[in-house]
Amino acid sequence: MFEFEIAGISVPLFMLILTGSTVGIVGGFIGVGGGYMVTPALIVFGFPGYMASGIDATHIAGKAVISTVRHRQLGNIDWTLGLAMVGGTMMGVEIGVRLLNWTKEHGVSGIVLLMATVVIMLGLFIYTQIETQAATKKIQKATAQGITTGREMKATRMPEFFQRIPLYPIVRCHTARLVISMWVIVVVGFLTGVLAGFFGVGGGFIRVPALVYIVGATTHIAVGTDLLEIVVSGGYGALRQSMSGNVDMLAVMFMILGAMVGAQFGSIATAYVRGPAIRYILSYSLVLATVGAFLRLAYLITGGVYEIFNFLAVVFTLGEMIFLCLFIVSLVWFSVRHRHGKTVPKWIPSLVVAVD
Amino acid sequence: MAEEKHTTRGTIKFIVWTAASLALIYYCWWSYSSGQMVSWYYYKAKTDGFAIRANLVREATKEKPIVLEIAQVQEVTGLQAVPVKKGERLPVGVNGIISKKDLEEGKRVKLEGNTIKVIQGTQIREAKGFKFKDTFMHKGIETNPWSGAWNLGMVIAMGLALGLMAEGFTDMVGIKISKIKHFEGAH
Repeated sequence: MFEFEIAGISVPLFMLILTGSTVGIVGGFIGVGGGYMVTPALIVFGFPGYMASGIDATHIAGKAVISTVRHRQLGNIDWTLGLAMVGGTMMGVEIGVRLLNWTKEHGVSGIVLLMATVVIMLGLFIYTQIETQAATKKIQKATAQGITTGREMKATRMPEFFQRIPLYPIVRCHTARLVISMWVIVVVGFLTGVLAGFFGVGGGFIRVPALVYIVGATTHIAVGTDLLEIVVSGGYGALRQSMSGNVDMLAVMFMILGAMVGAQFGSIATAYVRGPAIRYILSYSLVLATVGAFLRLAYLITGGVYEIFNFLAVVFTLGEMIFLCLFIVSLVWFSVRHRHGKTVPKWIPSLVVAVD
Repeated sequence: MAEEKHTTRGTIKFIVWTAASLALIYYCWWSYSSGQMVSWYYYKAKTDGFAIRANLVREATKEKPIVLEIAQVQEVTGLQAVPVKKGERLPVGVNGIISKKDLEEGKRVKLEGNTIKVIQGTQIREAKGFKFKDTFMHKGIETNPWSGAWNLGMVIAMGLALGLMAEGFTDMVGIKISKIKHFEGAH
């Protein structure tokens, strides 16, 4: 047990390091900060709610830097796209925070927040599942016809519509091979920023699908570029939280040390899989977080009478981290087996790459 | 030959960034354990009230109240409460403030002559749908605004140093990480 003088509690250090590394794996792989998983975990360890949010936001900034360094090496970052989005995101986050404060003033923040989480995440989960299943079928069909399929396969025409919007200035994103109106990028950044500010999270779980389905980036580039975005938005969040006195820097440091190992694994693991695999994991993380949010919503709606809802919400949120980590590790394991010509389950070849 | 050069560069990169990471970790640890970071955190009073060591009254209940003695001291070591005004620097050893508002309400604390009786040290609150134990700790304190910039700088520097250290490590041990070919094959 280590006593954190600022937070005022004693926590086993390995729990913080372990949390940092598991969320690092998931975050580095699907391009999210993982705030919706870390904050509840820290509350379970005994940190007060505001301090859990502050430590989470600050560690996310550091973890995003670690992941960004690795994704840069993998060529997964489109700097033009990322930097064009930053302005919109920052404005959006500010509006989102004000919207949250407005709901707080009217005494409906808890329920509005949770209901919005459930609706948006469930919607994204259903769309991503349908699209990704169609994409994997396309890969299987192409492979059966002897066509070599690449890393990315999508079953949506939405990006083409948004790329045709003729509003100047038009920007060319070289790494993502996109030519698109700057306004589309800024508006996507703004809207995802509003949701991020409103939910009080980094917003990666909304921005990655937006980059894939609206802007038209490949999933790998969406993940890397989003992590670059999180460095900026997470950094801003870290600054605000630190100035508000919600951060115990030593706890952050231990979480970053754990994240260093996890984020490396998660980022490098993207080199072993195709785009649809990342989207699958992202969609599962969305639905599991939704179940957690739904249980908390049930707890709040019933006036906090049924403690079982609160208990299950915590169990679900912590279980989600472990499940997603195991899923990612198993994908890498099967990818290595597939590369060496060993037998793998039928659904694996459409999700992993044999040779690069 | 090229591979050897790559490994050598990786080794140098790993050593340099490991040294930088260790220096940052040590500095962070030293700032915390020497009390520097703690004094930046518990910097000024944000409200009029009494500065206390909040962890000592955490267990206070109606049945087992804890009494604090009002005193004018530079360092709080036990069950003492130092009167502070908004904007004043906090005495050493305090980590929370019982505000005037709390005293006026009288739900959690009561002013009795030269003492303060704490009758509810902990209350249950909720954040993002999760319940947590809320105490007087961190209440009414103002953190040094520069500590925010320090934290941010530290986190970014640490992330960069650790990220580049890991990159150097994989280069050093010969794990080849090349750029992903995003647009090869049918897509």
